[in-house]
Amino acid sequence: MSQELSVVGKRLPKWDASVKATGAAKYTSDLKLPGMLVGKILTSPHPHARIVRIDASEAEKLPGVKAVITFGDVPKTIFNPNKLGLILRHPEGEVKDMYVLSDKARFVGDRIAAVAAIDEATAEEALKLIEVEYEVMPAVFDAMKAMKPGAPKVHDFAENNIALHKQFPVSWGDVEKGFKEADCVVEENFRTARNHISQLEPCACVASLGPEGRLTIWSPSQHIFLHRRKIAEIFGMQEGMIKWVTPHIGGAFGKYGSLSLEPVTVALALKTGKPVKIAYSREQDLVGTELRQRYISSVKVGAKKDGTLTAVRENLIVDGGAYFSHNSSTTDVNMGSFVGLYRCPNVDAHADCVYTNLPVTGGVRGYGDSEATCVLEQTIDKAAKEMGMDPLEMRLKNVKKPGEPSQTGLPLETCSLEAIIKLGAERIGWKEKKQRPRQEGTKKRGIGMGIMMDVSGAQPFNLQIRNAFIKFNEDGSINLSTCIADMGQNLLGTMAQMAAEVLGLNYEDVHMVSGDTDSTMFDTGQHASGGCYQLGHAVIQAAEEARGQLFERAARKLGVGAAELSVKNRTVYVTSDPEKSIPIADVAKGATYNFEGEHLDISGKGSFSPTHNPPPFAAAFADVEVDVETGEVKIKKIVYVFDCGKAINPTTVEGQLQGGVVQAIGYALTEDYVVDTESGTLQSDNFNTYKLPSALDMPEIEVVIYEEAAPSGPFGARGVGHGTMIAVTPAILNAIYDATGIIVTEAPATPERILAALKKVV
Amino acid sequence: MKKEIVTFVINGQARDLIVSPNMTLAELLREQLDLTGAKKGCEIGECGSCTVLVDGKPTLSCSTLAIAVRDKAILTIEGLAQGTQLHPLQQAFIDHGAIQCGFCTPGAILTAKAMLDENPNPTRQDVKEALGGNLCRCTGYVKIIDAVMAVAEGMRQGGAK
Repeated sequence: MSQELSVVGKRLPKWDASVKATGAAKYTSDLKLPGMLVGKILTSPHPHARIVRIDASEAEKLPGVKAVITFGDVPKTIFNPNKLGLILRHPEGEVKDMYVLSDKARFVGDRIAAVAAIDEATAEEALKLIEVEYEVMPAVFDAMKAMKPGAPKVHDFAENNIALHKQFPVSWGDVEKGFKEADCVVEENFRTARNHISQLEPCACVASLGPEGRLTIWSPSQHIFLHRRKIAEIFGMQEGMIKWVTPHIGGAFGKYGSLSLEPVTVALALKTGKPVKIAYSREQDLVGTELRQRYISSVKVGAKKDGTLTAVRENLIVDGGAYFSHNSSTTDVNMGSFVGLYRCPNVDAHADCVYTNLPVTGGVRGYGDSEATCVLEQTIDKAAKEMGMDPLEMRLKNVKKPGEPSQTGLPLETCSLEAIIKLGAERIGWKEKKQRPRQEGTKKRGIGMGIMMDVSGAQPFNLQIRNAFIKFNEDGSINLSTCIADMGQNLLGTMAQMAAEVLGLNYEDVHMVSGDTDSTMFDTGQHASGGCYQLGHAVIQAAEEARGQLFERAARKLGVGAAELSVKNRTVYVTSDPEKSIPIADVAKGATYNFEGEHLDISGKGSFSPTHNPPPFAAAFADVEVDVETGEVKIKKIVYVFDCGKAINPTTVEGQLQGGVVQAIGYALTEDYVVDTESGTLQSDNFNTYKLPSALDMPEIEVVIYEEAAPSGPFGARGVGHGTMIAVTPAILNAIYDATGIIVTEAPATPERILAALKKVV
Repeated sequence: MKKEIVTFVINGQARDLIVSPNMTLAELLREQLDLTGAKKGCEIGECGSCTVLVDGKPTLSCSTLAIAVRDKAILTIEGLAQGTQLHPLQQAFIDHGAIQCGFCTPGAILTAKAMLDENPNPTRQDVKEALGGNLCRCTGYVKIIDAVMAVAEGMRQGGAK
C-alpha cells in the first residue's frame, strides 16, 4: 500500500454537520414518544436534613398523575454513579453512597421524590402536593471545616467526613531530603475553581419499557455498556434486557461518564409501564449534575539555583460535595499529573477526599490534570521569580525526555515539550514582551505560560477494551459500527477517515452505526482522551480484516494472488500493474449476488486493548492586560501549541483546541460557581450569573498543531480532548502574576478578587 | 387558561394552531410542530439556542409569547434551506468546522443570517457583536466567525444571498 495518505490528515467536514446545520438532528431533549409522560424530580430545599415523613397521597390523587415515587419505592441498591468501579484495576476506592432517591437530604438539590404525569403542568403541580417533613440539621460547606471534630456528618460511615485517604502509589525519592538540597523552596496554598460543564443541552433522559419486557434508555452516555450494567445492577435486571441508545449529544466534556437522570427516569418508566422523559432546566442542570471538584492544594516546590527541581509535593483536600462519584479517580489523575509533569527525583502527593453539603462533583474536561497542572505551573513561576530566572528557562531545565516515565508511569515514546515551548515562545514574542514596560496608565501588561502532558486513554489503570465492526454494503460503501456517540468532537468522523484510508474508500462511503448497545459490540467507552488513539486501532484492525476478504475475492477475479493487491480510489488493483483493477463496488456486489456458491459478507472485526499511553503535549502562552482600577483582566492573545501526533483531521483538532482555550478562559476568569454559605443554595444558577465566555470575550487565539507522530498511535495519532484546556489556565494566571505580582490562589480571577489581592500587594 | 386558535406563518406556511396565552414561541415550535431546531438551553434568553427570525429579526423564542407573533413571518432553521439546497451559511458552517455538538448551531446560523441581511460587509468585530448572545461551549467561536466572514466574502464576490 502506498504511504501517501488519501483521507487521513485531510480537512473534511464533520460527519454529522449537515443534519445539525439543518436542525434535523434530534437530541435527547427533542425526543417525543407516543404516550410519553413527563417526569419531574422533587429536590431538597435544605442542605442537610433527615426526612421524617413523606406523604404523596395528595399528589397521587391529582388527575393526570401516573406515579409518585420516594425512597421507599426505589431499589435499595447503593451505588456510585460513575462507571469506573467496573473497569478499575483497583476498584476499592470507588465509594458507593447513593440511592436512586435519597434517604436523607445532603445538599440543596438532593433528589427526594419524583413524579410522572401526562404533561408538564400536571407534573409541576404534583410536586407541590408532595408533603415532606424535614428535620433540618446543621450543614457544612467547606472541606476544611468538614474535617474538624464535631462537624456535621454528611454520611454516617465517614469519620470527620473523610471518605477516603489517598497516597499517590508511585511516590519516589525522599521529598524532605529534596527540599534540604534545594537552594530555593516555595510554597503556596490554592483553592481551585469549582466549575460546571454547562454543556449547552441541559441533561435529559427518556426511558420506556417495551411490550416484550425490554427496557430502552435514550440518554447521553460516554459509556453505554458500562452504564447499562450499572442500571442493570441497580434494578436487578439482566444487561440483555436493556437497550441503551445515545441520540445526538449537546456537549459532554466528561459529564456523561456518570449516570445522571437515568436511574430516576427508569424507576418511573418501570412503575408506570409508559415512556417517561425527564428534561432538566438550566437551573436544575447546574445544581443537579456533576461539576468540578475543588482542590484545596498545598504545593511545595524545591529547586537548585540553576532551576533544576529537587522536590515537588502536593497535599490535597478534595471537596467533592455530598456524594463520592469520581473523587477517587480525579484525585489519582491530579496527583499523577502533578508529580509526573517534570523530571524530579523526589516527589510525593497525598489527599483526603472529603464530603460537604454541596452539589456533587464528577468528571470534567481535564479531569484532575487541569487542576494539578494549574497550581504546579503557578508555583513554578513563583519559584522562578524568587530565583530571578525566566520561567521559560526553568521549564526547559526540567522537561522530560523520551524514555523517562510519563505521568502514567509508562515510558515516554517521544517528548516534544522542549520543541513546542520554543515554538510557542517565538509565536507570542516571549523575549520582546518580557522586556516591554509593565505599566501603561492604569493598565498593567503581563505574559505567562503553562505546559502540560496529558493522556491517550486510561492505560494502565483501567480496563480499556475498544471494538469496531465493519461490513460492506453491496454498493461498495461500508457500515462502521462502534459503541461511541459523538459528543461534538468528531470522533466518529475521525474513525471514518481511518477506515476509508485502509479500505481505499472515500470519506462519504462510510456510514455510521453508533451509540446503541443492540447493534454495536461491547466497548468500555469514551473517556480520558482515549477515543482516537484506542478506538483508531480497533477500526484499522477491522478495516484490515475486511480488506483481506475484499482482496481474496478480487484476487480470484483478477487471477492474481491476494498479496499482490492494493486499494485506492474505490478500486482494487494489482500493485505492480495498476491498470489491472476492479472497482470495490463490483467486488462487494459480486460477493453476495452470485451463483458461484460462495456468499461472502465482506466484513471485519477489530478489538484493541492498549499497552501504551502516549501523552499529547502542549505549551500555552497568554498576553494579558490587567486594569488596576477595575480589576478587569483582558486577554490580548493566546498561543497554544499542541502536539497531537498525526492530526487525522486538522480542522477537527483546531476546533477542539479553540474550544478548549475558551473553556480555559471561563475557568480562569469568569465561571464562578457560587453557593450561599448560609443556606447552601446555588446562587449562580443560570447563564446570567454563571458566566460562560461569549464571542465578545474571545481574545486573538492562535492554535498551532505540532505533529510528532506517536510511534504506537494509529497513523501516529494521540489523544486531544482533555488537554485542550489544561495548559491554558495557568498561562493566563501566570500572565496576571507577571503583570501584577498577584498569585491567583482562588480562581476564577474575577475583578473583585483581583482588586482585593491588589490591595494586599500594595 | 383559555386556549384559542391562532394563525401563524411559519417557514412560509400559514398554520392554524391552538395556543394558550402563556405558551412561548419555543413551546409552540417544539411541542406542536416538532420544529426542534429551536433549542431550550436556558429559557431566560441568555444562551441564544432558541433563536428564530421573526420578520427577519433574531428573536429569543423561549422568551417570546407565541401569541405575540401571530401573523408575523417566523423563520426557523428547518425553513432556511431551499429544498436540498442549503443556505450559504449552513454550507459555510459545515465547511469551516463551525459545528461540533451542534446545539447552538441553529440559533447561531439564524442570528448570522439576520446580521448579514442588514450588514453584508461585516468586520470580525461586527460578527462577534452580533453573535455575542449565542453561547457555544464547543468551538471557541473562531470557526463560527470564520464561516460567517466567508459567506460575507462570497456575497461580495456575487454568490447567492
